[in-house]
Amino acid sequence: MPALETLTAMRIVAAPTALDSTQWPQNALPLRTAPDEILLLNASAPISLPADEHALIEPEGSFMGLWLPMSEALEFLERTCAWELPVARPAFAQGAVANVPVKLWLEPERILFIVQAPFAADFLERLR
Amino acid sequence: MPRVIFENQPIDFHEGDSVLIALLRAGQHPTAGGCLCLAGDCPHCLATVDGVSYTRTCQTAARPGQIIQRHPANGEPPLPTAPAHNVEVPARNLHCEVAVIGQGAAGRAAADEARAAGKNVIALDSKHGQEVIGIYLGPLVVARTAEGMWHVHAQEVIVATGAVELPPVAPGNELRGIMTARAAAQLHAAGINLGRVVAIGAPPENIPAELAEGTLLRFEGESKVEAVVTQTAAGAERRWPCDTVSIGLGLTPRDTLLRIGNGLNVRAVGEAAQSASLPPCPAAGTVCHCSSVSVADLDAAWERGFREMELVKRATLAGTGTCQGAACLPYLRSFLAERGGTVQAPFTARPVTRQLTLGEAAAGAHHRATPRTALDAEHRKLGARMDRVGGWWRPWTYGNFLEEYWAVREAVSLGDVSTLGKMLISGPDALELLERLYPTQVSTIKPGRSRYVLLLNERGYVLDDGLISRDSETRFALTFTSGGASMAEMWVRDWAESWGLDVRLLNQTMSLGAINVTGPLTHELLRRAGLSQPLQYMQHVRTEVAGVPCRLYRLSFTGEISYELHHPSEHSTKLWRTLLELGRDLGIRPHGIETLLKLRLEKGHIIVGQDTDFDSTPRRVNMEWAIKMTKPYFVGQQAILRTNKIPLDKQLVALEMAEGPAPLEGEVLWNNGEYAGYVTSSFQSPVLGKVVMLAWLKLFNDALPETVTVAGRPAHRVNAPFYDQEGARARA
Repeated sequence: MPALETLTAMRIVAAPTALDSTQWPQNALPLRTAPDEILLLNASAPISLPADEHALIEPEGSFMGLWLPMSEALEFLERTCAWELPVARPAFAQGAVANVPVKLWLEPERILFIVQAPFAADFLERLR
Repeated sequence: MPRVIFENQPIDFHEGDSVLIALLRAGQHPTAGGCLCLAGDCPHCLATVDGVSYTRTCQTAARPGQIIQRHPANGEPPLPTAPAHNVEVPARNLHCEVAVIGQGAAGRAAADEARAAGKNVIALDSKHGQEVIGIYLGPLVVARTAEGMWHVHAQEVIVATGAVELPPVAPGNELRGIMTARAAAQLHAAGINLGRVVAIGAPPENIPAELAEGTLLRFEGESKVEAVVTQTAAGAERRWPCDTVSIGLGLTPRDTLLRIGNGLNVRAVGEAAQSASLPPCPAAGTVCHCSSVSVADLDAAWERGFREMELVKRATLAGTGTCQGAACLPYLRSFLAERGGTVQAPFTARPVTRQLTLGEAAAGAHHRATPRTALDAEHRKLGARMDRVGGWWRPWTYGNFLEEYWAVREAVSLGDVSTLGKMLISGPDALELLERLYPTQVSTIKPGRSRYVLLLNERGYVLDDGLISRDSETRFALTFTSGGASMAEMWVRDWAESWGLDVRLLNQTMSLGAINVTGPLTHELLRRAGLSQPLQYMQHVRTEVAGVPCRLYRLSFTGEISYELHHPSEHSTKLWRTLLELGRDLGIRPHGIETLLKLRLEKGHIIVGQDTDFDSTPRRVNMEWAIKMTKPYFVGQQAILRTNKIPLDKQLVALEMAEGPAPLEGEVLWNNGEYAGYVTSSFQSPVLGKVVMLAWLKLFNDALPETVTVAGRPAHRVNAPFYDQEGARARA
């Protein structure tokens, strides 16, 4: 039975130009959730953003993730996702999946489903 | 030979037969009769197939063991008699640049052309098992298939659905044995003996048929057609004995889907794109077989003044039936043209074009997920009755409301307030944004301090309430009500962007858990959890509690010492359990929403949405202290200046009643027999020994009545709060 695991992450809200020009830690995965916001996965160390002294940088532990192999993921998405997935890989996308707010990180062979914890139970129920 | 079951009798069928052809081959008919089209356009082959009513048997492949039943002969709707089966229907979302509906010559050409232009094409055709039932915004084409529903998201839709053969309208047109020329050809090709065939209009292909000359007058027969009667040019009647009548009266575009797609990127090709030439206005006979509407019925509607297409449709129900006007619309138009002298446009077409089961309609749909706090499992383990409140699953009560209530008033209690809206704001314009958004003087809030605030809309009505907490000169934390949280980010962000202010916004509503620790023993509990120094009232700090990093807010909604512990939600369970353990000998209990609502009522605190309405101004809710009209500007200020010139007409007031039971929330107030308002919150207070209420009360002769009648008993107006008027307990 698939399970969601808590993701280690930071949320960073800053001027878009500051986000554009920042070098993120090597193992971190920056997901641009909005022009002025990044969800930085695999990051827990203090992050600084010298380009924007007003940036909001907060540890984020409410996102949960689940990797699915590509075929399984696409089968689920075809049933539950009304919007078109990006063709390029890797790619980031977000929107309603089975009427749950979901973020997707698409790699060539697999997809990471990212859900905030308050929706985790409903998401898993709809995944089954 | 495989067999289907028709009316409890097995019937042989040939491979490739539709259900209808199988029945006709066996000398049966699924309905009373009428002109068959075998193209899915008419209502004359509808039956219940495997429990699904209104199935078009001409479009349904026969399968061994299929159960086929006629619809009730008395015209009653064919309601299911057995429990529904196969309720859940899967959906597939497909994406393309061009969706082509219909794969006749025109449809294939359109698809080929699009593919040649490098476009991604999805071609749909009912003959291939994809029955399109509607086009929606997008455009989104929804089709029924054997594997479930297809939701085809296309950039462009091409309708190539061809044309419908016109049925005849004349007395006797409900008899069996009448069919369109194409239907006759299909049946003949399937090996069905049509007997003696008479053709009206163009004859069927490859079938010997006698051409009935003259104008069609009527069909004759008992239940099955036996003859056609025409009128010659000289005016004489001529009778044409027959077993089958083939109708070749011409074609009309099958354009229902095109009309449904009006305004979307939908176009038609081929016969579906052609303009309809109207048939002659019928003199008599059934026009709409779905709703049994005759020419006489149309005349009656016309005489009553229903002379527009949409009105005639509604007055007679012609076109509202299972075929959605495919058969009758040309005749409705010719009728109105003949009577009124002008050709009227077809009536509006809307999805769906075919009957759906509830499962098919719901395919792919999911209800909105209700979020759960990180403590959801803890609440359930403690036996909480969960309910949806403010858009979240929340504990209503843990079983004994009074125990929860007294724990707050006399000991210490925990409440899960993770659902509160929580937002961080920073930036050089953060203060300016909040000064414009809120009616309070934000600049006087010192770092480390919080203030209760109202949020108003442009009309000066109360939109929400919450806290502003200042971290530094340029950074603030905001809270909103649980119900208002989803709106709050949009509201703040929209204004910030409209004003072009340089701010950063971080919505942390779902990221942070929040536990309300409340009761006179709160300080002792927090001391045990590591808080060395109590905070001042309306102070906030970042510190650790029980090893969990928290933002602590000292405030009070319950009327007792209270702290909200906002913390990363992944630590909620640890913090909750530790506090419960540390407070075991203090009499700690969790409290649910029911208790919280009553506790705050004793303090006279409003709940936005329960005690307020869509026209509640600060003056009406008696909270003018929360707005500073001398500020240069805030959202709603101009509206308040304007509405304050109008005499006050009603106000949210506090009422007391000596004895219970508490009136129902919503109970009407009476002033000397006259309607005076209604109760918004009520509670028989254990600690006060009386009933306390908030209520909307009308002014009479520019004054609020001192006493009103509620549920037949007197209630007296008092000043809120009811409990601890000086606020000493909350500030202790």
